[in-house]
Amino acid sequence: MTGEILFQAEHISKTFGGLKAVDDVSFALRAGIVTTLVGPNGAGKTTLFNAMTGHLVPDQGAVTFLGQSILGLPHWRVARLGVGRTFQDLKLFSHMTVEENVTTATEAGSWLWQTGGRAAQAERTERIARALDATQLQRRRNARAIDLSYAERKFLSIARIMASGARLWLLDEPASGLDRGSYDRFVSLLRNEVKSGVTICIIEHNLDIVQSISDRIAFLDQGKLLAEGEPKQILSDPALAAIYFGERAS
Amino acid sequence: MFTYIVSLAILIGINAILAVTLNFILGYAGIFSLAHAIFFGIGAYTAAVAAMKFGADFTVATAAGMVLSGVISLALALPALRVRGEYFVAASLGLQMLALTVFSEWKSVTGGIGGLIGIPPARLFGFDVSDPVLFLALTLACLAIILLAIRALVRSSFGRSLKAIRDDETAASALGKNVALLKTLAVVVSSSFAAVAGSLYAFYLSFINVESFVLEVSVQIIAMVIIGGTATLLGPVIGAVIVLLLPALLTYIPYLPPTEIGSIQQMIYGLAMVLLMIFRPSGLWGYGSDSRARGEP
Repeated sequence: MTGEILFQAEHISKTFGGLKAVDDVSFALRAGIVTTLVGPNGAGKTTLFNAMTGHLVPDQGAVTFLGQSILGLPHWRVARLGVGRTFQDLKLFSHMTVEENVTTATEAGSWLWQTGGRAAQAERTERIARALDATQLQRRRNARAIDLSYAERKFLSIARIMASGARLWLLDEPASGLDRGSYDRFVSLLRNEVKSGVTICIIEHNLDIVQSISDRIAFLDQGKLLAEGEPKQILSDPALAAIYFGERAS
Repeated sequence: MFTYIVSLAILIGINAILAVTLNFILGYAGIFSLAHAIFFGIGAYTAAVAAMKFGADFTVATAAGMVLSGVISLALALPALRVRGEYFVAASLGLQMLALTVFSEWKSVTGGIGGLIGIPPARLFGFDVSDPVLFLALTLACLAIILLAIRALVRSSFGRSLKAIRDDETAASALGKNVALLKTLAVVVSSSFAAVAGSLYAFYLSFINVESFVLEVSVQIIAMVIIGGTATLLGPVIGAVIVLLLPALLTYIPYLPPTEIGSIQQMIYGLAMVLLMIFRPSGLWGYGSDSRARGEP
């Protein structure tokens, strides 16, 4: 349901040595919308992502997904609860085929067979076909991930998360390096998924992309959440623009 | 001559089992173990003791070796696989050293340095399998069963998860894979199957000692996998054939002093590995077609 709080981080902090990468950040992700994390390099966006998915344990703060604390859970457990993510460097299974990459994402268990019998198998097969169709990778299903073009690899990372059935998608710079045509396809794909009930949180640097895709924006700088709100409101703030483009408000 | 060929074929079969089982973790799961010879040894000693002291037949003796090997591999894998790969390499080297000392010092069970002599012939369903041709058939049957089992595992969701872990642990974990558990299970499966080779070896030679399970043997098994092709079903079998045939072929080269064959063999292995890494990094069988590269036969 749109508006329901799916994910909540409260007073999250994470320090690496003397560097405070995330400093007392609190924010919520509401269901059925696209929230974008923006900010200059080193703002703490990826660290926040890692803390949200269990890849990092915050020094302090609380993290809940669907009202349940996920703090300290190993990331594979967080993933099984329905939090999926992509990575800046994609992290595809390079020597597996496109179909294998997507198939393994549908398999919650890793035994010789999956539970649920034929009905569950049919549902997984349908999810695989839908993910491959939506990302236009159907004709490349037997190609190895390492043999794909850059745009195809980007779409494979999306196909994988789509097939996993995750309810919350955390996408780390998913549109960087895409040509115009691929970018349009990508935006339309995300919009369709949001319509079908998926909640998306994106890290993105390109402000055109941010503007065209976001329902809400959270602005981070030096580990702090400086502002959160509608895209128009955030992107028209001269103080935030100055920080984003490398100037510091005096 | 016929007896020699059959004997060579049996040893190739046994080594092929070792290579295929190591490939299951090395090629499909990306786990590099330096202790495979130890699981070979555990299978051999367990089968020998079971046959000599309890009159166990081949299936019972082999099953006992598989269970013990699996349990001991669990002790290695559980702590070592919770961290990244290089720690497992170090831990497996530690196990190789430790277990070798146990093999040579636990005289009441292993016979110490002198080993165990007079292991009875394998008995299967009440019949002695002492004829070399029958034993070759038994070895090939074991190899075929293990190949089929590994093929089924690799094509299952378990196999897909292992390949995913091999390619990227973080991404596999982000898709809900319990990386430590899956890697531990892979090591247990591999070690248990390696014990079958040990059982065959003990029953065939009717004598075993610690020299058959030293670090050099573990390295030789790795060479078989790399030469044949990692993450392919038949590559390690081809690697075992090449590595085992090489010394036999060298003895037919005229003017080659028999005392130098060992050194020349080592040089050829080394050179072959270097050339393979440069020209065919996926091994002899693992290069050339997509289906092979994907781990299909």
